Amino acid sequence: MKITILSGKGGTGKTTVSNNLAVLVKESFLIDCDVEEPNSHIFMAPEITEEEEIRTGYPVVDEDKCIHCRKCADFCHYNAIIAGAAATMPLKDLCHDCGGCQLVCPAGAISYEKKGIGTIFSGTSRFGSRFLYGQLYTGELSGVKIINRLNEKMSHSDLVLVDSPPGTSCSTVAALEGSDYAVIVTEPTPFGVSDMKMVVEMLKEMNIPFSVVVNKAGLGDNEVYEYCSEENLTITGEIPFERIVAEAYASGKLAVEISEEHKSLYRNLWLNIQKEAERSHES
Amino acid sequence: MKVKEIVVISGKGGTGKTTFTASLAPFLKDVVIADCDVDAPDLHILLNPRIEEESIFSGSAKARIDEDLCTRCNLCAEHCRFGAIDKTPRINPMKCEGCGVCEYICPADAITLKDVTTGKVYKGITEYGPMVHARLVPGEETSGKLVSRVRNEAKKRAESEEKPYVLIDGSPGIGCNVISSITGASTVVIVTEPTLSGLHDLKRVLEVAARFSGKAYVVINKYDLSREMSEKIEIEAEKSGAPVLMKLPFDKKIVQAVTGKKIPSLAEEELFLSAGWKNLLKTLTAE
Repeated sequence: MKITILSGKGGTGKTTVSNNLAVLVKESFLIDCDVEEPNSHIFMAPEITEEEEIRTGYPVVDEDKCIHCRKCADFCHYNAIIAGAAATMPLKDLCHDCGGCQLVCPAGAISYEKKGIGTIFSGTSRFGSRFLYGQLYTGELSGVKIINRLNEKMSHSDLVLVDSPPGTSCSTVAALEGSDYAVIVTEPTPFGVSDMKMVVEMLKEMNIPFSVVVNKAGLGDNEVYEYCSEENLTITGEIPFERIVAEAYASGKLAVEISEEHKSLYRNLWLNIQKEAERSHES
Repeated sequence: MKVKEIVVISGKGGTGKTTFTASLAPFLKDVVIADCDVDAPDLHILLNPRIEEESIFSGSAKARIDEDLCTRCNLCAEHCRFGAIDKTPRINPMKCEGCGVCEYICPADAITLKDVTTGKVYKGITEYGPMVHARLVPGEETSGKLVSRVRNEAKKRAESEEKPYVLIDGSPGIGCNVISSITGASTVVIVTEPTLSGLHDLKRVLEVAARFSGKAYVVINKYDLSREMSEKIEIEAEKSGAPVLMKLPFDKKIVQAVTGKKIPSLAEEELFLSAGWKNLLKTLTAE
């Protein structure tokens, strides 16, 4: 079973929810797919046993063979090749690695080389659970390839919890691949409601059942509750805003480490999520 | 007159980027405002623009197969590097990157690329100046292009109306959206939080800012949640040549202002003044 934790935008508590659950649910396997800003490893403090660099291809032009026909540049939908009368220059940062330029080149002048775009780290968290995360190199355009590889590396027989990238971009869609259930973490503010609407739309389109967790409850207004009730969305839990939790988070500690009360809060949340996930798959 | 672009970014979302951008808007006289956080646009909630124009943005194309022409040779699926075509063959639009390889390789001319709507762009007027914002269709990936479009529209408007500033609510993260938000901008303000993850993200976003834009500054939001982390962030920022301009304390009144759809710097001016607001405005508006 793969459960993906999402949010309309960053900072709503996606990492908080997924990490606290991962600590409580002993058999879980946590994967941080937020490769632009991975934060789970800060709380999981894993012992890394394996590293893998993820690479992408980009074209290289052999000027001796190039006949300057500009077919490659005309074909490229990403404007990643500049072709002049005397030189053809690929821009590797814009390349999506589709292979089209190589395909259309009549002179066989284009070959592909590989460059690293990020790293995947696997290991065991300080709580003894299995943990995987990816990190995109700064200045790289897209982490989708890293996320796809993270997806490949997880074992399907296990309970997998995914800390997804925020929002509804291509990275989020990639993280959702193969998910059985999703949990949207939101906050009770006008921003929270506005942002989660887009996630709801995306999950409906992808046909993935989901429920909602309201984080920082008590800090804002009622708009999120009104929206959920209008749209008939299930709220599986509420996490109250508490300064001590925010302070613990600041220093890299999780709520379940603070007290039994926080533990039971997340235990209840997990029971509700499990129940809802099972129910949605029976119906 | 040269337009000065001030872009507000954050290592990640939820640090208070939009709250800060909205707070700045009334204090920059003669400004054009842009929300480049096209994945989670929120600035309009606080600035409440009256929309004057709405347009469709088509930033990408997707492949379509004509079933009648298709000979099931599967060449398209074999050549697609994005795993967007299965053996049926059927195209998964969420995975299709519109590269055109399938269209090119198909011997039966059964595949064509069609432009798709990837977002909407809105132009409007707020109490503090014109505003441009946009919304990406969920799951679409050309947000970098949509960000550039919003930024260019705002810049064009500033130039034609001779406004000295463009204020941009940038995108979170360090990927293509942020790069599109800040490339060539003169001033970048990074809003961060005093947490271990905030520090981790700040280092990465400072690298991106140094590579793609002009002068960078840092604002620490909720600094009193961890004074220790706040100090570490100040050290990291100074080391990278990005001075800390303001440290805002955590105060429920700011959340309440946002919840009431009010601009925090106006609703809670005292709080901002005691956090270094005047100095920040002076620095950001200096030549």
